[in-house]
Amino acid sequence: MKERLRALDPRLLWIILALMVLGTLTLFSAGRNTPQATIWLKQTVWNLMGLTLMLLLAATDPRRILRYSFPAYLLGLLALLAVLVVGKKIGGATRWFVVGGQTFQPSELMKWVTLVYVSQRLGSRPADSIGRLELLGAVGLVAFPMLLVQRQPDLGMALSFLPILLIIPLMKGLRMRWVVALVLLVTVGGFGAWKFALKPYQKQRVMIFLDPSSDLQGKGYQVNQSRIAIGAGGLIGKGFTSGSQTQLNFLPVKTTDFAFSVWAEERGFLGVLLALGLFGLLLSRILDAAKAAHTNAEAYFCAGAAGIFALHLLVNVGMVAGALPNKGMVLPFFSAGGSSTLSFFLALGLIMGILYRSRVK
Amino acid sequence: MDPRQRPLLHRRLGVFKALAWSLVAVLILIYAWLQLVRQGEFRQLALQQAVKVRPIAAPRGLVLDRNGYRLVDNRRALHLVIQREDLPTRPEVVEALALALELEPAALARKIQSYRLAGKGRPLVLKENLDDAGIALAERVRARFPFLSVDVAPRRVYLGDELAGHVLGYVGEVDDELMKAKPGVFRLGETIGKEGFEASGNDKLKGVDGQRRILVDQLGTEVANFGQSDATSGRSLYLTLDAGLQKVMQDAYGEEAGAAVVLDLRDGGILAMYSSPSYDPNLFLNRLSQDMVDRYLNNPTRPMVNRAIQGIYAPGSTFKLLVALAGLEKGVITPQTVIYCSGKKNFYGRDFRCDKPTGHGGLSLVQAIAQSCDVYFYEVASRLDIDDIYATAEKYGLTERTGIDLPREKRTRIPSRAWKRKAVPKDPKWYAGETISVGIGQGAVGVTPIGLARFYATLATRGKVLTPHLFYGFRSDQTNQLELAPSPPTKETPLDPKLWAVLDEGLYEVVQGGTAAANPFIREIAREASFVGKTGTAQVAAFVDKSHYARQAKHLKDHALFAGYAPHDRPQIAFAVVVENAGFGSTAAAPIAAKLVKYWFVDRLKNPLPPPRGRMVDPFAPAPEAAE
Repeated sequence: MKERLRALDPRLLWIILALMVLGTLTLFSAGRNTPQATIWLKQTVWNLMGLTLMLLLAATDPRRILRYSFPAYLLGLLALLAVLVVGKKIGGATRWFVVGGQTFQPSELMKWVTLVYVSQRLGSRPADSIGRLELLGAVGLVAFPMLLVQRQPDLGMALSFLPILLIIPLMKGLRMRWVVALVLLVTVGGFGAWKFALKPYQKQRVMIFLDPSSDLQGKGYQVNQSRIAIGAGGLIGKGFTSGSQTQLNFLPVKTTDFAFSVWAEERGFLGVLLALGLFGLLLSRILDAAKAAHTNAEAYFCAGAAGIFALHLLVNVGMVAGALPNKGMVLPFFSAGGSSTLSFFLALGLIMGILYRSRVK
Repeated sequence: MDPRQRPLLHRRLGVFKALAWSLVAVLILIYAWLQLVRQGEFRQLALQQAVKVRPIAAPRGLVLDRNGYRLVDNRRALHLVIQREDLPTRPEVVEALALALELEPAALARKIQSYRLAGKGRPLVLKENLDDAGIALAERVRARFPFLSVDVAPRRVYLGDELAGHVLGYVGEVDDELMKAKPGVFRLGETIGKEGFEASGNDKLKGVDGQRRILVDQLGTEVANFGQSDATSGRSLYLTLDAGLQKVMQDAYGEEAGAAVVLDLRDGGILAMYSSPSYDPNLFLNRLSQDMVDRYLNNPTRPMVNRAIQGIYAPGSTFKLLVALAGLEKGVITPQTVIYCSGKKNFYGRDFRCDKPTGHGGLSLVQAIAQSCDVYFYEVASRLDIDDIYATAEKYGLTERTGIDLPREKRTRIPSRAWKRKAVPKDPKWYAGETISVGIGQGAVGVTPIGLARFYATLATRGKVLTPHLFYGFRSDQTNQLELAPSPPTKETPLDPKLWAVLDEGLYEVVQGGTAAANPFIREIAREASFVGKTGTAQVAAFVDKSHYARQAKHLKDHALFAGYAPHDRPQIAFAVVVENAGFGSTAAAPIAAKLVKYWFVDRLKNPLPPPRGRMVDPFAPAPEAAE
C-alpha cells in the first residue's frame, strides 16, 4: 500500500484534491432545496471510487496498460454500437446503458480509450515525422467513434474527441503551420459561410443536424440565466449557499452543465480566479508529464489528455458565460456524473503512472 | 530514442503549455468582464426576476338590502394569471400556451399585446374562477410555462341569483373602450362594475388595492415576503331595496315579461324593482360561453334590458290622470264637468271609439277615471293643445329622466310640437287628431315604469317630485350599523288640494267600484290594505327599439299596466306595474300590484323575516309567500 501511495505525484494530487473540494462545495449548494439535495454525497462516492482507481493505475506500469489498448478500442466501438440499440433514451438522446438503476455513458470512457489507442499506434512508429497514411489512419480511428457518438446524438461529446486528432499528429511531427492553417480555414470559412452565404433555413438545417435538441429546451434562456448568475456574483460573490439565481432555481441544470455558474455566483470573481488557476496548474502538470514520459506513446497520451481537459474547460466555462454555443460538455470535478468522473480519474491515474515511472528511473 | 532528448517534442509541449495558460487567461478576462465590469447590470436583472411587486386586490364592499340581508357577497376565487413582468414575448411560446389552455392563439396574442401596451396594473388573467379541474389543468400547464401563476382574488357572489339582476348588475374587467374614454381613471385589468348598481355605485364599492414585495423562485412561488401595504376593502352599503318585497315581485311575474317598481314616498327610495325576464349576474362573472350569449344576448325577449328604466311603454289609461290634471290646471274642465259618452265621438272628421261600445252616458271626472272612459278624455284633450299637456308633464317631472342611480336610464317620451319637429323631420307638423290619441295615453307618448311610478308618487304626495334612488347608506365600520345617507333632492311642485282630491277620489273609485274592482281578488286585498291606482291597457306594443317593435307587433295582445299608491288615507308607497302582451290592466297588472301591497302592509308585518345575522344568511330561503 505504501509502495502504491508513493506512486502518486504530490503536485498533481494536491491540485486534484483542491478541485474536488471546490466541486463538492458547489454541488452541495446547487442541490439545496431541490430533489437532488444529496447529489454532493453521491458525487463524493464517485470521487472516492475515482481516487481508488487512480491509485491502482498510478502504481501500474503504463506499458502494461497500453498493451491492451487495441482490444479496449474494439470493445469500446462495440459498446457505442450497442448503446444505439439497447441504450436508454433520455431527453431525445440514446447515450446511456442502465445497469441496476445506475446509468453509464460508454462514450465518456471511449474518448480516453481512443486517445490511448491512437497514442499507442502512432507512438510505436518512427517519431518526428508523420506520413500521409499514418495521418489518415489516425483520422479514421478517431472519426469512427466520433460518428457513432454523433448518432446518439451528442455533439458535445463528439467534439471532445477532436483534441486527439489535433494534438497527437502535432506531437508526432505534423507541421504546426498545417494545423494553424486548418484551424484558420475552418473558423474563418465557417464563420464567413454562416454570416454571408447560408440562408436562414440552411442554417437551421445545419443547426438541427449538429444538435437536434437545440431549440426545444430554450437554451437561450439557460445561458441568459447563467450569465445573470455569474455577473451578479461580482468580485467576492453572494456567499456560500446565498446566490439568488442558484437557490431560487432560476439557474437551470445547475448540478451538471451549469455547475460552474453556481460557483461563480456564490464565490465571485475571486472564486473563479482560484478555480481557473487550479485548472491551469492541472493542465500544466499534465504537460509536464508529457515532457517526462519515457515513450512516445506515453507522451502523446499525456498531451492528448491535456487537450481533452482543456477543451472541456474551454467549452464549459466559456459556454456558461455565454461566450461559446451551448453544447453540453461537462466540467471535470464540478459537474456531477459517474461516467465522466471515473473516466477523468482513469486518465489522471494513467498520467500519474507515467510521472511515477519517469521519477523511479 | 528517449523522447525526452527530442527538441521537437519539447518545442511543441512548450507551445501547448503557453496555449493552456492563455486559455485560462482568456476565460479569466471573460469572467472579469461579466463579474467586474457588468456586475451592476446583472445584479439588477437577478433582483428583478426574484423580487416582485404583486398587487393585492381589494375586496369590493358588500351590498345589503335595507334590512341588512346580503344581496352581494364576496368569496375567494383562484385565477390563472401572468404577472406583468413575466409576459411571454416569443410568438411560439404564446401559441403553445394558447394550445395548452385551449384558447384561440390569435386572441391570446392580441390580449397580451394590448395588456403590454397599457399601463401598470393587475396581472393578466388567463382563466378565471378555477374549479378543481381548472386547478389541475393550471398546475399541469405551469410545469411547462413557469411564468404562469395562480392568484387568489375576491369574487362576487350574487345571492338572489335572478332576484335583482338588473338592479345589482355585475362586475368585470375594465375594457379597452372605457380605458380610452377615461384615461388615467382605471388600471388595466381592474375589476369594475359593468352593469346595474355595481356600475353606478362603483366608486362607493371599490376599495384601494394594496401591494406586496415578495421573493419568488423560478416557478413564481413565493419564497419570502419583504413587506406589504394592505388592501383597503371597499365600504359595504345598504340599498333601499327590501329583499322580501323584491322576492314577492319576482314570484308575481313568473313567466310573464314586464317590469315593476315600488317607491318609498318618504324619500324616493326604491323598495323593489324587477324586470322580467331577469338574469343571474353570477353567470356574467366568467367569460361568456356561446350558450350564454344565445340565452341572454341573442334572446328575442331581451333579458339584459332593464325594462323598469329602459322600457318605453305606451302608458294607456294610466296617462289619463296627467291629461285630467292638465285640463284642470288649464281650466278647460272643472271637477264638476260632466261629459256624455255614447261609445264614440267624432273629432276632426274621424271617429274615436270608447272602450265601452255602448257608451258610459254622462260622467263626472271621478266617474270617468273610475270607468276609464275614453270619450271623456278625448274631449279633455281636444280642449287642450299638445303643448299644454307637455307643460303639465314637464311641471311634474315626467319629461325628464328620474335620475335614478342606475346606468343608462331612458327618458320618457311626452310629445310636443318641438318634439315632433325633431323626431319626425319628414312630417314636422303636429295634427290636432294626434292630441286626441295622447289624451288616452296612446300615440307617440311612451313612459318608463320608473317614470310612471314617480308620477303616481307625485300624485300620492300632493306634488312632490321625488328622485328615485337605490343607495340607502354605508355600513359603519365601527358598529356595522346603517349610516343613513342623505336622500337625493325632491322638487316641491304645489298641487292644488282641491284638484288633487278629485284625482285621488277617482283612483280610489277605480279599485272600489271601477275598472279594477271587477276582479274579486283586487276587491279582497283592497279591503285588507287599501290601495288606489289606475289600470291601463296599451294598444301599442312596447317601444324598446325598432327591431323590438317590429317583432312585438306580431303579438297583438295589449300590454297591461297598473299604477297607483297605498294606503289610501296616508300613502307610504307608490308603484307602477307593466305586464307585456298580457291583456287588460285589471286582470294582469293590478293583481301584481295587489300582491305587493298585501305583502308590504299585511304579510311583512304578520310574518316578519328572521333578522339578518352572521355570515351568509340567506334571506331568500324561506320564501315569504310560501310561508303562508
